[in-house]
Amino acid sequence: MSDRRLPRLLQSPAVILLLIWMIVPLGMTLYFSFIRYVLNNLRRPEWTTPSFSNWRGWGNYDFVLGVKGFWPAAFDLAIPLALIAVAVIAGGAALKAYLDAGPRDLVRRARAHLGLGHVIAYFMLALLPMIGFVFFFGDVSFGTGKFWLAMKNSLFIVGSILFLTVTLGILIAVLINRVFPGRGIVRVMLISPFFVMPAVNAVLWINMILDPVLGLQGLAVAGINGVIDSLQTAPVVGSFFSLWPDLEPISFRATQTSAYAVIIMVTWQWTPFAVLILMTSLQSEDQQQKEAAILDGAGAWNQFRFLTLPHLARPIAIVVMIQAIFHLSLYAEIEIVSRGNGNKNLPYLIGEFANNNIGAASATGIYAVILANIVAIFLLRMIGKTLMD
Amino acid sequence: MAIVAQTTRRSRISRATLAWIVGLLFFFPIFWMVLTSFKTDADAVKPEFLIWFTPTLENYANMTENYDYWRFATNSVITSVFATVFALAVGIPCAYAMAFRPSRATKDVLMWMLSTKMLPAAAVLYPMTFLTKGLGLYDTHFIVIMVLMLINLPIVVWMLFTYFKEIPKEIIEAGQMDGVNTFGEIREILIPLAWGGIASTALLCFIFSWNEAYWTVRLTTTEAATLSKLIEGNRAPEGLFFGRLSAVSAAAVGPIVVLGWFCQKQLVQGLTFGAVK
Amino acid sequence: MGRIQLENVTKSFGETQVIPPLDLSIEDGEFAVFVGPSGCGKSTLLRLIAGLEETTSGRVLIDDEDVTLVSPSKRGLSMVFQTYALYPHMTVRKNIAFPMRMAGLSEAEQNKRIMAAADSLNLTDYLDRKPGQLSGGQRQRVAIGRAIVRDPKAFLFDEPLSNLDAALRVGMRIEITEMHTRMGTTMIYVTHDQVEAMTMADKIVVLQAGVIEQVGSPLDLYRAPRNLFVAGFIGSPKMNFIEGDEAAKRGAQTIGIRPEHIDVVDSGPWTGTVGVAEHLGSDTFFHIHGTGLADILTVRAVGDVQMSHGDTIHLCPREGDIHRFDAAGLRLS
Repeated sequence: MSDRRLPRLLQSPAVILLLIWMIVPLGMTLYFSFIRYVLNNLRRPEWTTPSFSNWRGWGNYDFVLGVKGFWPAAFDLAIPLALIAVAVIAGGAALKAYLDAGPRDLVRRARAHLGLGHVIAYFMLALLPMIGFVFFFGDVSFGTGKFWLAMKNSLFIVGSILFLTVTLGILIAVLINRVFPGRGIVRVMLISPFFVMPAVNAVLWINMILDPVLGLQGLAVAGINGVIDSLQTAPVVGSFFSLWPDLEPISFRATQTSAYAVIIMVTWQWTPFAVLILMTSLQSEDQQQKEAAILDGAGAWNQFRFLTLPHLARPIAIVVMIQAIFHLSLYAEIEIVSRGNGNKNLPYLIGEFANNNIGAASATGIYAVILANIVAIFLLRMIGKTLMD
Repeated sequence: MAIVAQTTRRSRISRATLAWIVGLLFFFPIFWMVLTSFKTDADAVKPEFLIWFTPTLENYANMTENYDYWRFATNSVITSVFATVFALAVGIPCAYAMAFRPSRATKDVLMWMLSTKMLPAAAVLYPMTFLTKGLGLYDTHFIVIMVLMLINLPIVVWMLFTYFKEIPKEIIEAGQMDGVNTFGEIREILIPLAWGGIASTALLCFIFSWNEAYWTVRLTTTEAATLSKLIEGNRAPEGLFFGRLSAVSAAAVGPIVVLGWFCQKQLVQGLTFGAVK
Repeated sequence: MGRIQLENVTKSFGETQVIPPLDLSIEDGEFAVFVGPSGCGKSTLLRLIAGLEETTSGRVLIDDEDVTLVSPSKRGLSMVFQTYALYPHMTVRKNIAFPMRMAGLSEAEQNKRIMAAADSLNLTDYLDRKPGQLSGGQRQRVAIGRAIVRDPKAFLFDEPLSNLDAALRVGMRIEITEMHTRMGTTMIYVTHDQVEAMTMADKIVVLQAGVIEQVGSPLDLYRAPRNLFVAGFIGSPKMNFIEGDEAAKRGAQTIGIRPEHIDVVDSGPWTGTVGVAEHLGSDTFFHIHGTGLADILTVRAVGDVQMSHGDTIHLCPREGDIHRFDAAGLRLS
């Protein structure tokens, strides 16, 4: 009967479009990841067209990881994943213990709205130490392929951005949560970076701000050096300051520093996002609970630590997860800063492989999908909880 | 209120000052870009912190001849507008059905739609290039519009769904009792009622489309290239053209930043999929 | 015409069956009230008739025509919702005109009917306001206006008065009853308030857990409740139920007697202690403890009877008004 079929009919364009969008390219990626497929090869021209006769099995995956065979590859993947699991669980437990410790009545009050969501939230907060973990051990234990370098860069860049945006976000959100003259204007100024298109963001920062000669960085360093110089020629204290060195401006396009440039510019752009979401959440904080805590003798710090921080745990987790998903596919900034020199992440590596070795690009893509899905599962669960009420 | 009573006057002032400093710091790069855009190229690269100078509009006047700005801008407008219109055209009926005729699968369908948003774009880079080139769609407005629409569709459906759910079911039912068919319900009741929500969804979709910088860069060369592609192509100005680069950058982001100021609230909902209210 | 019949209708939400197989027929021009405690399925039943819910099995007939698969917009019924469900973006005039516009009536005919409806509902001064600027009672009138202009086969009311305050409720009750007398159209009215049911209905349908407990005129239900549930639900204050010896004496498992059928006497068969005494002026309600019959016995005395907490009271039931029920809770005649 028409009444029952109609809703499906109305949904079908959206569903079908998204289904095609998801399945067709991903299916092709999966297929390409198992065959030998390169765009140019003079000696083996048969590899330049995709075909099942070029079946390579797990070969592309091995090639990308830089190891041979299924078990070494699985082992290589399993160790970091196990480390991640250990770090997440240990870090989450430690964080939860930290937040739960403290004057009992305050904890009980904060507990009133602690649920599974919060436990997940603590786990997600623990993403940060985990990333440090992988980064630290990355050099030592794992394969030498380009993949691990890109994976390390991905995790390092994402982890640093997450840490900075969340920390700054909490501080700024708490700072501007109270009414003060011109709060509206400050809010507008704070949120603006978020709407700048990524390409402009990168061009603006790398040229006009971070450039060692022409950018503001160069000007600032030159200015400080000028002050030091004039102190060195001053009569009495000159001999003391003559021991000070001149500062060297940092070149942010160099291999050693290009990742930092990306971190700085993305942090600038995404801190407003964290601020916006945490501020929205702060406004729903229970003021009576806070007043009760004041009567219980809790100072500003205790209120923050035992009431505000637990209240923010869930939105923080959401900020972390959403940003993780977005930043795992950072591309424009990497391209503009140094074309992957020193800051090559997974998407960029895929792009490079895709210039010729499609099989390797596809295998790397599948790894990237797996990585993103680990985060996405947590995020979808949290969203699903709030869905139907 | 007790909390306010606790704060002393001095700490209030210092907090406000600090907040202003933070706000100004975050806004400064944008300000600097706009300021530089009014400098001549020579002024722009002077090794001094130049605040007072003779402003010039020549960078804006020469945008077309320096960068062919208007062609890229036109492409950005065309692709973003059509992507938004199509996303709404597909999204409104879908969200209507989900909000007012839910079935047991509705929740799963919504979650699945969101999950498509979480796939890393790079993973399907080559297949997309392969398909678009094979079908002769590479560097066409059509493919850019389709891709922009598809990456924004989950957010559009999601936001519309949350807005529609706030409309009392009885009003839709009253419409049914009053003799409206489904199409009339959407046109006569739903769209006028949810107008604000639809407008902010459209605004957000437009902003995201305008700022998109992966597919627009990888799937175009010249014909359908958008402002993202233009800026990306000038990543390092050959010669010292900071003034003109600033002008074209400011022209690329200016309208969107202003639009963004109007939809801060919706942004939270749209980006967190309603998980933070 | 507006004769509505339900044949073997059932409704399930997933695994749970909220309406077991049910037959009911409502005659043309009748004012039928569905009454029952919340969650008894009365609103679901109304929505099945409206077509807003699909039947799981069975048939719905309007004027002997099977409309089970017909969409709500094509059934020719009007509905007034508990929340009024006015279109907030339209003025009162447009709200009322909406169903006529959808039916494709001429502009002139629309205006004629709007003015007639506004006149009879005292809405003439408010026609150009939006629903948000009206009081609850006015909104209710607009909702009714929207329902009457399209000349439906039957009106459906879903607890229309429960969002109004007590004084307005009484007024609207009378207005709706008058409207029914004037128009003579079939009306189906859902409420949880048995006073509304008693005062308005030609026919009351008492529902519990989706099952029809009894169908009849208000006084039928008052005089001869078919079972304990109906006996307890209809009438205010509630009927007293007595078990044990007193019931056995009369050959029943349970007997029921309404508070107004117990007289306060100087000496009588029943004795107890006055607990709470509610003096309303016209009547006095006593809650009596320690009778050995039931925990609390409610008694209504006409006029202001001066007795207060702790006093001993003697009572005499009117034998002819005692209802007898068997072990299954069914009426013994």
